[in-house]
Amino acid sequence: MANRVHRAKKALTILLGQCVPSVKSQASKIRIRRMELDENLLMYFRKDSYVFAHDPKKLCKGGDVVLIKQLPEKLTRQITHSIVKVVYRYGDVIDPISGKPVVVGLYRDEIKATNEAFGKSDSAFDYDKAPPRGRLQGTRDFTHRKTYIKWCEDGNEQPFAV
Amino acid sequence: MYAKVNKFIFSPLITSNASQLIRNYAFKSDLKIKWIRPEKIPCIKPEKSGDRSPFPDIDKNQYMLKYQNCKELETADETVKRLFSLGGNRENETKDFYAKILMDKVKRHDLDCGSMEVRLASQTATIRKLQVHMEKYPKNQRAKVCLKELIDKRKKFLTKLRRWDYRRFEWVLEKLDLVYKAYPSYYHWITRRESLTKLTDIHCKKIRNERLAAYRTHLKSQQIGFLEKKLQNLEFIRKEQIECAVPVTVSIEDIKEVQVKLKSLMEKAARKTLVKQN
Repeated sequence: MANRVHRAKKALTILLGQCVPSVKSQASKIRIRRMELDENLLMYFRKDSYVFAHDPKKLCKGGDVVLIKQLPEKLTRQITHSIVKVVYRYGDVIDPISGKPVVVGLYRDEIKATNEAFGKSDSAFDYDKAPPRGRLQGTRDFTHRKTYIKWCEDGNEQPFAV
Repeated sequence: MYAKVNKFIFSPLITSNASQLIRNYAFKSDLKIKWIRPEKIPCIKPEKSGDRSPFPDIDKNQYMLKYQNCKELETADETVKRLFSLGGNRENETKDFYAKILMDKVKRHDLDCGSMEVRLASQTATIRKLQVHMEKYPKNQRAKVCLKELIDKRKKFLTKLRRWDYRRFEWVLEKLDLVYKAYPSYYHWITRRESLTKLTDIHCKKIRNERLAAYRTHLKSQQIGFLEKKLQNLEFIRKEQIECAVPVTVSIEDIKEVQVKLKSLMEKAARKTLVKQN
């Protein structure tokens, strides 16, 4: 019995979660989604819990699927985990079986082949020339922080107010 | 501090019965916090929809999209030319013309009319046209509904594109000159009471931080004097203990540690004064 409990605990030391926007500079906020059984309805409902994972180099950005591990000692009152690995980048889906990049139902190679067959236009998007994600952060793309409904006029510009 | 925050001026309608305080509907905090309600921006305005550039001025003497390369028009009469120009036709022709310009910026190939980028471009053209229309005819409810629905749909598409293909999403934002902000996590009305509570919290935090900072500088200013006194005391204790032949509890290392600390602090202070003089 004790052995089984120990094994279960060990299995839970690494968790899978998704990164969500947060203001912390040294840590990332990770959402861990579990399914919880409602015994009255005999149905599963999702239940979210949030933890902060120590991430000084900012390995993960909003939406990335990551593996996290509990730290042997809490770094601060809130930071309890650390990031083991970024499994999937958000908006950069890779088919786990063939290892090829995918966009919705098509491989990128297929899209490229179709474009070339129809005569690729000069203005078309090119993956080889495209810079990595994050260059428009704070200018056009305001997804790295939580947005809120504007509630006060304080004279300053509020980029995250909707 | 908290006593000051919680001290409210009650209205004069308080009964003499002290156990049953009746408070009026409106009460005022004596803190001088002013809340300005943000002006409501309609959702169809470009500030809210995320369009950075407006509908451009298009030369109305150009021909309609279908008749761009028509050879008969070159030799035609002025009246006929006018009949086939953008100025002589309905406004939607101008919109289509602009949509073509936007779609050409993002299309994958010449026959592309269904990819996400092209759909976003065509929606953007319609939205910008309708925004101009709404400025002119603000009472056109049907157009307003269309516009709002289209803006929401474009936002939904952008959200999808972001999930599917982040780099393409960024590229489209740049090409179409758009701004993307995610929806807030929940909707709520903006009320005076809630906003004032938030502002008071911010005010309290600011005061607390200011006082903590002041206290910290005050303690730091006393550090050198304290260490000097500590050094004297430690030396005195050690000397006495040796003289009285009791077990010595203060080692030389302890004294040295304090000396090193004091020295570094003195150096720091000297450097600061030098910087100030310069």
